Amino acid sequence: MNQILVIAWREVTRLRKRFGGGASPLAVLLLLAVLGLSAYYLRDTVSLGSGLYRVGVSGDVPPINDSRFAVMEVDAEEGKAFLDDHTIDVFINGSDVISRADDKSQFAVRALKQYMERAELIRVGNSYAEADAFPLRVGVNYLGAEQASAGSEAAKPEEIIIPSITPPPAPFAQVLITLIYIMPITFISIFFTSSFMDEKVNRRLTILLSAPITPFQIILGKMLPYTIFALSTTAIIAWVTNVSVPLALAIFAPTMFFIFAIYLMVPLFYRTFKDTTFIAMLVTTLTTAYLIFPAMFTNVNDLSYISPLTLAVKMYRGEPFGWREYLFPSLPMAAIFGFAMFAGTRMLNEEFLMGYKPLTRKVNDAIYLMLAHSKPYISVPLWSLLVVPVIYLTQIILLAFATNLPVRLILGFTLLGSAMLEEIVKTVGIVVLAERGVVKSFREILGLSFLSGLGFLIGEKLLLVLSISMVSEARVAGALFGAGLLLFVPLISHFIFTAIITLLRIKLKFPYIIALGIGTIIHFFYNVYILRGGF
Amino acid sequence: MIPFLAVVKKELASVIRDRTIVISILIQLFIASFSSALLLGMLSLYDSDTILQFSGAGIRIGVVSSDNMLGSLMKERGLTTIQYPTLTEANAAYYRGEVLAIVDTPQDANGLTEIKLYLPESDTASSLIRMVIQEPLKQYENYLREEKGIDVRYTDLKGKPATSFEFVYSVLIPMLMFFPAFVAGSMSVDSITEEVENNTLQTLLSAPLTLNGMIGAKIVASIILAILQCIAWLTLLQLNGTAIQNVGWILLLALIVAGITSTSAALGAVLLKDRERSQFIYSLMLLAAAAISTLLNLSPITVMSRLAVGDAFTSGWNIVVFAVFLAGLYFLLSKTSRRLLV
Repeated sequence: MNQILVIAWREVTRLRKRFGGGASPLAVLLLLAVLGLSAYYLRDTVSLGSGLYRVGVSGDVPPINDSRFAVMEVDAEEGKAFLDDHTIDVFINGSDVISRADDKSQFAVRALKQYMERAELIRVGNSYAEADAFPLRVGVNYLGAEQASAGSEAAKPEEIIIPSITPPPAPFAQVLITLIYIMPITFISIFFTSSFMDEKVNRRLTILLSAPITPFQIILGKMLPYTIFALSTTAIIAWVTNVSVPLALAIFAPTMFFIFAIYLMVPLFYRTFKDTTFIAMLVTTLTTAYLIFPAMFTNVNDLSYISPLTLAVKMYRGEPFGWREYLFPSLPMAAIFGFAMFAGTRMLNEEFLMGYKPLTRKVNDAIYLMLAHSKPYISVPLWSLLVVPVIYLTQIILLAFATNLPVRLILGFTLLGSAMLEEIVKTVGIVVLAERGVVKSFREILGLSFLSGLGFLIGEKLLLVLSISMVSEARVAGALFGAGLLLFVPLISHFIFTAIITLLRIKLKFPYIIALGIGTIIHFFYNVYILRGGF
Repeated sequence: MIPFLAVVKKELASVIRDRTIVISILIQLFIASFSSALLLGMLSLYDSDTILQFSGAGIRIGVVSSDNMLGSLMKERGLTTIQYPTLTEANAAYYRGEVLAIVDTPQDANGLTEIKLYLPESDTASSLIRMVIQEPLKQYENYLREEKGIDVRYTDLKGKPATSFEFVYSVLIPMLMFFPAFVAGSMSVDSITEEVENNTLQTLLSAPLTLNGMIGAKIVASIILAILQCIAWLTLLQLNGTAIQNVGWILLLALIVAGITSTSAALGAVLLKDRERSQFIYSLMLLAAAAISTLLNLSPITVMSRLAVGDAFTSGWNIVVFAVFLAGLYFLLSKTSRRLLV
């Protein structure tokens, strides 16, 4: 513990030296002030698109204060002429709206409709008594699942709304608030990665590692100041936005560790500074996508619970959620953090960090370092089992990616991608061990292929059981991970695909990509067969 | 000139050799497809037009009413309505699965009209119904207002759903054109600070090349890379059937913005000399610049989307101000670059 604190203090000193003195703290403060100020001004005007539509107005028209419209005053004749020669998209003459038949003009009309509805409400609300301006009240009641409880006791209390000023539930705003929590965490990752890069550039890592400190303590120590910072910003944001601080901390702590885990990988793999930038950008976009995409569907689909932001959205709406909903997104994230810590401690050595090799080579070395700590018969199935959460998250991102494709291709693409991911993780360990001469014989390859398939199957089924018990709509998870708890057939098939790839690669000396391609295609057709109800 | 080109070539070659450019393109591909996936998802789940288009008639609503105004408004919207004489019968129908929701008879109460709406308890189903029923309720409200003699204008506007259009021109195109520029700035920081931190700067300057020439070459390399990506994106978008006007001006604007980001990033790197602080300041500057330019109503994002959509009042002249800004920044950089050696 003491060592961890020493490393943490060393990290704080490093930052203080770097940012202390000179003009930089001032510059940071200045920029932060500018940001705060502009955020304050922009908070109301954030909308899609600015100046996209040109609108001509003439006569008594309410002022149009929407960034999407650029408004110009015209007289009636001019307005029609401008509309015809496409100078403007819509012409508003008093209470008449004149448009052309083409798409752009019609889009402008729809955007105008949304704006005018609101503008008219304000006008009507201001100029008439409330009962006249808003003459309709809708009492929303919820009917329970059982007929017996209907009428006698309502499932939820009645909620009275005025339709024109109650927007239908869409979680945009709350998702944006929850993003504020994520921003500082991704920002400080620049410092976290730099901390390791500094050791590398200044060649101090050797000295550090020769001290009586384990790599695990070094990583934890370096992480500690940033953990404290991230937790305190979370607490502050929660406090400022009036939600429960402990609840916000509980929701965002796993996310924070997950982001740290990913950023830990960046300095371990980089070779040049540009690598760091690009890898960091890639992981930032991927994690943001993973976090936001499901949260947008809060209350629309139970699968949205795979993102912890969904919990935060619910927190902001004052809706309760249970332990199962909490664990569903948090456990995989915590598991990935644990895995990353383990990988980090294995990779934190001079030889690995200093090597300038192609990225694939570095990944290869990293996997070897992780597997070499124990006998292949233990490490290979353990590897397959432990990477399952990573695969799970990747498959979710893959699914988000696939929704762009034409509908007919979505399922095929997702199945093919998932099959490839699964085959990569199951075979890569064995292939890496074989390249280093640890695994040679036919029997060893077959044995390890079986164990790797077994490890993966156990991980996959554990996750499936977890998600079925937690979330009712786990059909998508079922499709991804092979629904049904029938164990024998999947085990054999996992074994066969893995064995095909490893044998092609190791014994027949196929390039890995081709061996993988063959195995993936067979796996894909097997999946399609299963989905069609083959077994 | 030849040493200048040699540095440009070295920078580009290293990006291609290290495969970093592949990662960058992957990021952009991901951002583009992810944001359109998000849009598609949002549309199909939150946009009542899209929901009605796919499952309108499948949404059956029980109506308990003698005054059938609201019922016919819902029918007009494309929902299926089923009449029931009493609430009890409608309730029974709900539990038989005949209808998904119930709308009770409008009642007068102190000059207000009250309606009771019965929705399923499940969040998923009830939020869907609330979304599709919103528009008829609003129309009904307007009808009630008219009965009271209040004239609400602009209620008959229709148009076509514009979300996709707005997204493509005001988010997707500016994002794809400017993201390479942001990357270009980061790249300039990296390649300048790397020379300092690895102590290779002095060696590089022993070549027949001035300090300004060296920094300029690194900036030019970043810009070339950014522009190549922009050209690729524009080609892809047009192949995809997105009409883009003023392609020449768009590329010029993208080039100038890439110049601005890389020059200001280089300025930061020259002053701070290490990657950590330079990248941090650079990312803060980007955020601040985006906010300030929006506040000043001089945003390159707006100019970009107006150029792409073929706005009648936007032309090459709107780009001049950014070019002037770039020239000023570059002048500042060339005056301060000596601090890199101190």
